[in-house]
Amino acid sequence: MARSSSKDAQDLFRALWSAYAATPTNLKIIDLYVIFAVFTAAIQVVYMALVGSFPFNSFLSGVLSCVGTAVLAVCLRIQVNKENKEFKDLAPERAFADFVLCNLVLHLVIMNFLG
Amino acid sequence: MSKLIFVFLALIPLLCTSFSPDRPSDRRVLVLVDDFAVKSSHSLFFNSLKSRGFDLHFHLADDPKIALQRYGQYLYDALILFSPTIERFGGSVDAAAILDFVDSGHDLIVAADSNASDLIREIATECGVDFDEDPAAMVVDHSGYAVSATEGDHTLIASDDFIKSDVILGSKKIEAPVLFHGIGHSLNPTNSLVLKALSASPSAFSANPKSKLTSPPSLTGSSISLVSVIQARNNARILISGSLSMFSNRFFRSGVQKAGSPTKHEKSGNEQFFTELSKWVFHERGHLKAVNVQHHKVGEANEPSIYRINDNLEYSVEVYEWSGTSWEPYVADDVQVQFYMMSPYVLKTLSTDGKGRYFTSFKVPDVYGVFQFKVEYEKLGYTSLSLSKQIPVRPFRHNEYERFIPAAYPYYGAAFSMMAGFFIFTVVHLYHKCVTFLNPAFGGFLWAMF
Amino acid sequence: MAASDAQNGVSSIRHAFGNVLAFFILLLIGVLAFSIRLFSVIKYESVIHEFDPYFNYRVTQFLTKNGIYDFWNWFDDRTWYPLGRVIGGTVYPGLTLTAGTLWWILNSLNIPLSVETVCVFTAPIFSAFASWATYLLTKEVKGAGAGLTAAVLLAMVPSYISRSVAGSYDNEAVAIFALIFTFYLYIKTLNTGSLFYATLNSIAYFYMVCSWGGYTFIINLIPMHVLLCIVTGRYSSRLYIAYAPLVVLGTLLASLVPVVGFNAVMTSEHFASFLVFIIIHVVALVYYIKGVLSPKMFKVAVALVVSVGLMLCYGGSTYSIGSIKPNKGMEWKKFKSVRSFLTSLLCDSTYASKYIPIIASVSEHQPPTWPSYFMDINVLAFLVPAGIIVRLMLVLAPAACILSGIALSQAFDVFTRSIKLQLPSLSDHSQVDAGVASPESVVPNDSVKMDKSEDTSKERTSKKSKKKEKEPVEKPLSKSQIKKRLLVLPLETSVIAIILLVLLGAFYVVHSVWAAAEAYSAPSIVLTSHSHDGLHVFDDFREAYAWLSHNTEVDDKVASWWDYGYQTTAMANRTVIVDNNTWNNTHIATVGTAMSSPEKAAWEIFHSLDVKYVLVVFGGLVGYPSDDINKFLWMVRIGGGVFPHIKEPDYLRDGQYRIDSMGTPTMLNCLMYKLSYYRFVETDGKAFDRVRRTEIGKKYFKLTHFEEVFTTHHWMVRIYKLKPPKNRIRGKTKKSKSKTSSKPASKRKGLKRNPF
Repeated sequence: MARSSSKDAQDLFRALWSAYAATPTNLKIIDLYVIFAVFTAAIQVVYMALVGSFPFNSFLSGVLSCVGTAVLAVCLRIQVNKENKEFKDLAPERAFADFVLCNLVLHLVIMNFLG
Repeated sequence: MSKLIFVFLALIPLLCTSFSPDRPSDRRVLVLVDDFAVKSSHSLFFNSLKSRGFDLHFHLADDPKIALQRYGQYLYDALILFSPTIERFGGSVDAAAILDFVDSGHDLIVAADSNASDLIREIATECGVDFDEDPAAMVVDHSGYAVSATEGDHTLIASDDFIKSDVILGSKKIEAPVLFHGIGHSLNPTNSLVLKALSASPSAFSANPKSKLTSPPSLTGSSISLVSVIQARNNARILISGSLSMFSNRFFRSGVQKAGSPTKHEKSGNEQFFTELSKWVFHERGHLKAVNVQHHKVGEANEPSIYRINDNLEYSVEVYEWSGTSWEPYVADDVQVQFYMMSPYVLKTLSTDGKGRYFTSFKVPDVYGVFQFKVEYEKLGYTSLSLSKQIPVRPFRHNEYERFIPAAYPYYGAAFSMMAGFFIFTVVHLYHKCVTFLNPAFGGFLWAMF
Repeated sequence: MAASDAQNGVSSIRHAFGNVLAFFILLLIGVLAFSIRLFSVIKYESVIHEFDPYFNYRVTQFLTKNGIYDFWNWFDDRTWYPLGRVIGGTVYPGLTLTAGTLWWILNSLNIPLSVETVCVFTAPIFSAFASWATYLLTKEVKGAGAGLTAAVLLAMVPSYISRSVAGSYDNEAVAIFALIFTFYLYIKTLNTGSLFYATLNSIAYFYMVCSWGGYTFIINLIPMHVLLCIVTGRYSSRLYIAYAPLVVLGTLLASLVPVVGFNAVMTSEHFASFLVFIIIHVVALVYYIKGVLSPKMFKVAVALVVSVGLMLCYGGSTYSIGSIKPNKGMEWKKFKSVRSFLTSLLCDSTYASKYIPIIASVSEHQPPTWPSYFMDINVLAFLVPAGIIVRLMLVLAPAACILSGIALSQAFDVFTRSIKLQLPSLSDHSQVDAGVASPESVVPNDSVKMDKSEDTSKERTSKKSKKKEKEPVEKPLSKSQIKKRLLVLPLETSVIAIILLVLLGAFYVVHSVWAAAEAYSAPSIVLTSHSHDGLHVFDDFREAYAWLSHNTEVDDKVASWWDYGYQTTAMANRTVIVDNNTWNNTHIATVGTAMSSPEKAAWEIFHSLDVKYVLVVFGGLVGYPSDDINKFLWMVRIGGGVFPHIKEPDYLRDGQYRIDSMGTPTMLNCLMYKLSYYRFVETDGKAFDRVRRTEIGKKYFKLTHFEEVFTTHHWMVRIYKLKPPKNRIRGKTKKSKSKTSSKPASKRKGLKRNPF
């Protein structure tokens, strides 16, 4: 039982991996970007746990900037993904412009809130 | 001392002397007497006043023409009532008018006597002095009486139980006892405004000396006050004495020997006592003023309209005392300032430079609100100083908090790295988009299921 | 209704015509929404109403005078003496900034309006915006027809009018617009899946947070919707795009508003959104993996995740068995926090009134009675099924409007269609012809127009070919109409139903106009009353405030019950001890205690607060019911809540609150009674209180520590000054003495009289 399940798991990961390998490069880049953002957020949370939450606004803006970046990147990924039928009529250029706008707003707010 | 005053007197024009904050001493004094004989029998006392520049106006107490004020202006700065038996004043004057006179900041000397009228008693009561209710009662002291040629009923008392205050009685000690012959009064101990200037000895009591003592006397011992002074809240000063004859030339001049005391004084202490006391009552001594309150942040000169929490500030005030002729620096080490909002947040004793300037510096507490600088200075014999100055204290402005906190550098780093990441990503993404456009078949087919 | 028809219609002319019509209808709706709120200005004058708006007005004045930075950092030392108030950090700045911007724009266009005028008209302007936002929202949901209906309904819904008449310069005035607009943008994002709208949505949310504490409705309702979608299996990536950026950006933007600050992440109201934020990520991941893997592999993955999860849970539970007691505490705490969350959300008024009398004393927080529910929503109540508090009513109103807008337009749709389909059947045409008749009758029109337009275009097609093209389109159409005919109602029924609906609408309009004109337009600072000899205007409040501003020193402090605080600071420009901002219960309790204490104790309390003047509102002479005597029990309760020596039963006789001769001695000696009824007996000789409808208990008394300095024309506001401490302290009172002294006097008089 245990062996079969572990084998299943192996199959699963293999399938996952192969599926992912077929992802277009631009999506992979986005994924990389998301991972980078989430990783930065995690580091900050750990740091906060060690040091304490004194400049809470800085912590909040730091973490939320990462989370926000990640979320926006995921949104972009959803939109530019050609296989996603929901967004067929949405041009990737338009999606990217929206993404840039959203990011600008985000970073403006972050700058405001950081200090 | 008196010479000095005399010299000063010559300098002062007689008519320009109404009571003013700059010159707190009284100038025009109305004296109401029962009959004009008092004018001569008490001439020593009056002369000492005259010699200090007071302008005395004598009137009979029931003179129908007397008036304290005309057209809303008071005609006099002070009032001396040497009319213990008067039942009702003439003219427009009555008890209420006299009390209004006091309440508007003027001074009053009242002398009662053993047969003091209800009117005089009422005035005294309004001022917080309760004369013995028995109209025939006198203060009797069988051990502290003044030795005299005729062995009397011991109603002539020699008392040396003075109030211990240099301000009220002058710095020179009164050596000889003061002669007293009259009725005693009691004070309410909770009354903080009234002081016993001269009290009776523990063996004294108040009773009718002619009749036999049937019940215990209502007033006994040192709770009997012979002469009291009152400083009202508006700094008007009142002197109430249970005896008119104390002020008389006869008492001023006579020698005194207290029973049981070997020393016989050539001259009683009455003159010195009343000269000094009248100086105090007529504001020639013990009158303080505070001017020039300043406060500012440390290192700045201008007074701000608002402070911020945790500011360091300096506070200074100048306090002067009226010497009868000029304002002299007041020197003391017990002037305190409060930084007050419902309760004092800061209480500091001010240090002085000896020239009247008091100063201190402190840090504004970490509480915002509307604060007050308060100086409440109440010292025995001195006029009370009550200064308060309102000043709001605000919290930090939004741009006054610490900006770059070292502990937050990782967060800054993260935020900026996100920004940098965004730019790099933009570039890379746009570039790769071209690639994917060139190579559309590259898209994964598995995504179709999504 | 034309617009809804237009949308259903086939031809583009009709569409264009419908659009123009819709535009004009919207314009008219805006005018209606604006003008229905002007009754108060017409009937009274252009003046700010109530109490709270006066504070907003003062803040706006400051903003226009000193600019935004000073406003942001403003520490107001005039309110809440001696504590002061940090205005920048304790107000929702949306309204003030909006009005300030309006004023600034107008002034830079050289239209010199006063700040007060701008403030008075802000609410009507924004109600027009709100009805347009309602149109957009409903259109996004259900189509233009329903949108227009909903917009009309919202423009007139009484509960919204009550909060947005001209002069009611309160947060809700702009917040309702922001609320509706935020929802519109959310729906729009959901429909388009565009990040652009998501950004706009979070900015609209930011505006809402700026404007009103009611933004928690949004941040709870949207997660609820998202959760519902996920649970019912309607997750889509558009949902993710609509929700996830909103949470992140919205939270960041909300914490930029000083009054919210860290609350945006720290308080329980916002936790729901974070929880759903996590859930939606998990769900998104699951959907993604589901898409990537083959179904079999996906099953394996699910099995794996579930088994790992179960193991983790098992480990966790075995671990926690050892420490069950703290856990229980935790649970209890959680329960409590959930409860408080629910309380804050639903404003469970019984809970609040049990613990915090001050909240219960605000009528806004009391459960509305059914009449008021009916009064505020009226006809819409039949169309929407619902008991809630008054403030929630306000939020409910737009929802009710939208729902009933949809319902009404659907009903009209159904009825008109059935009429349309049945009317031709009365003539001799065949049924099929009739079915096609309506579209066909349009076609000629259509083609003529088309010709004109096609002149420019190069693809010129003949009419015939065009007809051929059209026919296949029409056929399925008629088919669908045949299908619909099955649902068609009988003609008589639908005509009657339409008449009924129109009547209902007319009734609603009449009621709304009546409510706007009569019920909600009184500015409460000026009162009127009709009596047999005409109209009486009571302008006592402003009389009193003017007296204060002209006759007292700038730094003098005025104590009154907190209702009048904002007005006093704004109109008389004097420092007040407590005002309508109720954040410090203790401070208000101090004033309540002073009011319910005897004179001497009250004098001491006021003296310690540096109070110079005491202001009481008294309606006994003219019958103004909301005066201080009627509010007095709240003062006792609030005062007693902090200072236990004030006990409510002391003021009640057998549980009844009375001020006549049966009143308790405590009641008849308290400061409020004395200040209200001082010299009252001199007015009519009987001292008959017209509010309480009784003669007062104690008629002749003197004030020892207070002196009356001003009483307004109708005695509605009375101002007293604290007497200074006595200059001298009297000796023992000797009554016998004074009697004996007066006796001889009278005797003497008698003697003098005798000779005559």
